[in-house]
Amino acid sequence: MTQVSEITEQGQTSQELPKQSSLAGGFTFAHMLLKKPGALRKFRVMGPDEERYVRPPREYEIPEYRKGMRCCTSNEPYLRPTRWCNPREPKIIAMANELGAYELSDCEFADAAYWFVKTKLVAEMLPLDSVTATLERGTGTCYHLISLWIALCRAAGIKARYKTFMMKLPDEVLSQEMTEQGAMTANFFNTGTPEGEGEVCIDGNWVVGHVAMRPEILARVGLPIPKLGEDAIGMTFKLVPGTIKRFESLPRRLGIGLKAGTWLAPAAMERANVLIQTEMLPPGRRIIEEAGGIEAYDRKARNVQELFSAEEITRRTKAKRKQVVKFKE
Amino acid sequence: MQLNNSRRDMSETQDVRHQAKVSELLADYIPPQDTWNPADEALYQPADPYRVSLEEAQDMQLKAIKFTFTRHYRNNDFYHRYCEMRDITPDDIKTNNNLDKIPLIPDIVFKQHPSGKDLAYWIVGIFTGDLPKIVVEGANPTFDDIVNAFNTKGLAVMYTSGTSGRFSVIPRDMKTFRAAEYALAKSRASMVAQTDDHVLLLFPNPARTNLFIGRVSSLSYDLFGDVHYAVDSAITAEVTQKAMSGNERLSGRMPSSVQSETQQKIVDKTVQWLERYEKTEESIRLGGPPFMLVLVMNALQKDGKRFDFGERGNVLTAGGWKIHENARFPHADFRKQVQNVLGIPEARCLDLYGLCESNGFMMQCPEGHYLHAPYTYLKPLVLDDALMPVGYGEWGHFAFLDALAQSYPGFIISGDLVRLLERCPVCDRPGPVFEPEVHRAKGEEVRGCAEQLRRILSQDLVE
Repeated sequence: MTQVSEITEQGQTSQELPKQSSLAGGFTFAHMLLKKPGALRKFRVMGPDEERYVRPPREYEIPEYRKGMRCCTSNEPYLRPTRWCNPREPKIIAMANELGAYELSDCEFADAAYWFVKTKLVAEMLPLDSVTATLERGTGTCYHLISLWIALCRAAGIKARYKTFMMKLPDEVLSQEMTEQGAMTANFFNTGTPEGEGEVCIDGNWVVGHVAMRPEILARVGLPIPKLGEDAIGMTFKLVPGTIKRFESLPRRLGIGLKAGTWLAPAAMERANVLIQTEMLPPGRRIIEEAGGIEAYDRKARNVQELFSAEEITRRTKAKRKQVVKFKE
Repeated sequence: MQLNNSRRDMSETQDVRHQAKVSELLADYIPPQDTWNPADEALYQPADPYRVSLEEAQDMQLKAIKFTFTRHYRNNDFYHRYCEMRDITPDDIKTNNNLDKIPLIPDIVFKQHPSGKDLAYWIVGIFTGDLPKIVVEGANPTFDDIVNAFNTKGLAVMYTSGTSGRFSVIPRDMKTFRAAEYALAKSRASMVAQTDDHVLLLFPNPARTNLFIGRVSSLSYDLFGDVHYAVDSAITAEVTQKAMSGNERLSGRMPSSVQSETQQKIVDKTVQWLERYEKTEESIRLGGPPFMLVLVMNALQKDGKRFDFGERGNVLTAGGWKIHENARFPHADFRKQVQNVLGIPEARCLDLYGLCESNGFMMQCPEGHYLHAPYTYLKPLVLDDALMPVGYGEWGHFAFLDALAQSYPGFIISGDLVRLLERCPVCDRPGPVFEPEVHRAKGEEVRGCAEQLRRILSQDLVE
């Protein structure tokens, strides 16, 4: 099998992060280190008593690639290989076929691939690499996971693309227990680091999918689990207005940034990985088990979220009770 | 030993007399006994809320909480649907061990209220019980306009100061509010057997605010002869929001550490008040949020001043232990500063832990400074990250079942982290206590890899 070189957008400037926001992020980071130069060592070196990250075992088997397995070889935009997302890698083709490529409808396949990535892979902070590497590890950042989903869909002949946006930290995060250090980094991430989703084209319509967050992480805080077609913006994240971008290929700058981050702050990355494994996943897992599984949990979470929402409370206040309030202009 | 027992006996007699006196002063807050429901009984019957035998208290607690739960289940449409969703009815609550089953509401629900006219409908939707006709005037009523419209009709809708700039709005009826005030007074009287001659409170004037921390202290006028408030200007929602959030915080930049003009006035007023009573024999009580009292004491220390009020002084703090720019100040260090600067012994410097959402207050004991829960009408719960109850001695999320909350379902999960002990390791009061230091839970909303990394970097920036 001949590897096709990664192709970026032809004749177009890739939709990269606004330079201003990237520069602002860089300046903030430099400012952080100037104020706290000792932190650099802590970013880079794990303490002798600190828990070390151990990658969890992969939760699935990768089927063997067999010659003749169907895959898409089109060079059309959103179907062709792009940076860090080659749908023609053998293991990707094998997994796509295992999930039902060319047997299921586009919608069914996209959904199957969505839940596969969402429930079987887990977050890990590390530099961007190939989708095969992600599949073999069973871990990655949100961009690894989105790329894997996109690659599987493209392998199945379904157009797919990236969608990124800037996440706004909730008010409660910015002000609760906000130390000086927290404030510095809050500003940094509010300007420089996007969240991501994927989109697949089903029957001519782009459908969003937030594959990058395990159900356990959402269950831990009582949030519903977004299905294919449900946007995490609003459900899980608050959007910084005007920051949604869509593109066929991940910008090179993102890869450089992640690599630089991993080089500069490997210990910080490792601590984040430990946190995910030890504090974020286990409580969520228990909650889902006690609820009777992901679907049962999600049903309850949605019902509770709807019940508690201000809109629902206001709407359901019975007409009779609403009449106790009169507005006099 | 005999001398100690005698002293203890005298102290207990003094306590009993003081409690009786307080009950007498608050007679108007107590409804006629023949109208008492089980929640009223749990509040008004005990002479000392922290010295009820465990057996008697458990019986009161079960009856009180079950009564209130049944009330909300039957009369609050929103809460009823929640209970149906969780498949719990009042018939499921048979013993104290079943109380854990009562569905808890996350405190964020009370923060997620709409703005504008819909706020009025939201309050109506959350409220349990009958409401009078509410008239809201103005084409574009403000937050306070709507709250005041309810309160002029005899309700007691109040809100917290809210560190995020989002208020928790709690719709109390007058019965619930007066129960909260009575509970506060009795909690305080249990631990401080002294009626002070002069009181200065560094809280908002209750007549000029709808902030819970201001309003709930209004009964001070009934308890003490001479009460003054150092914060005398109107504290509206808008003023509070600017003070607590402000645009700078939302963008993550640091708020200014320069003392405001208002704070300086409060400090000056307090120092003058202390100087006035320094040379007398009269007793004084100084109450307020820790950060304000620290400002006062720092100002005194800067000027090389100190006082020696001794046993005739009392300090009561409430409102949380973040001082400047979210730095915490340990209560033990605060007590030492009070002793050094005001000459008031540590046993007379107590903290009160309360929430706007609750009508029960946790009061520190003078012996060990552990926070005692009023366990006849409030059941404290500590929950792990999966929101399952944990045992004594474990840190977890503070939740409570509040039997006194008659006008809204007071079965709430707060945003605080606490550790509950089965009993106080120091004093002889029988009920459960919290460790003195209560923490805010770090925002538990989920965020992606970016936010996780941000948290780690923040922690790593602490040298």
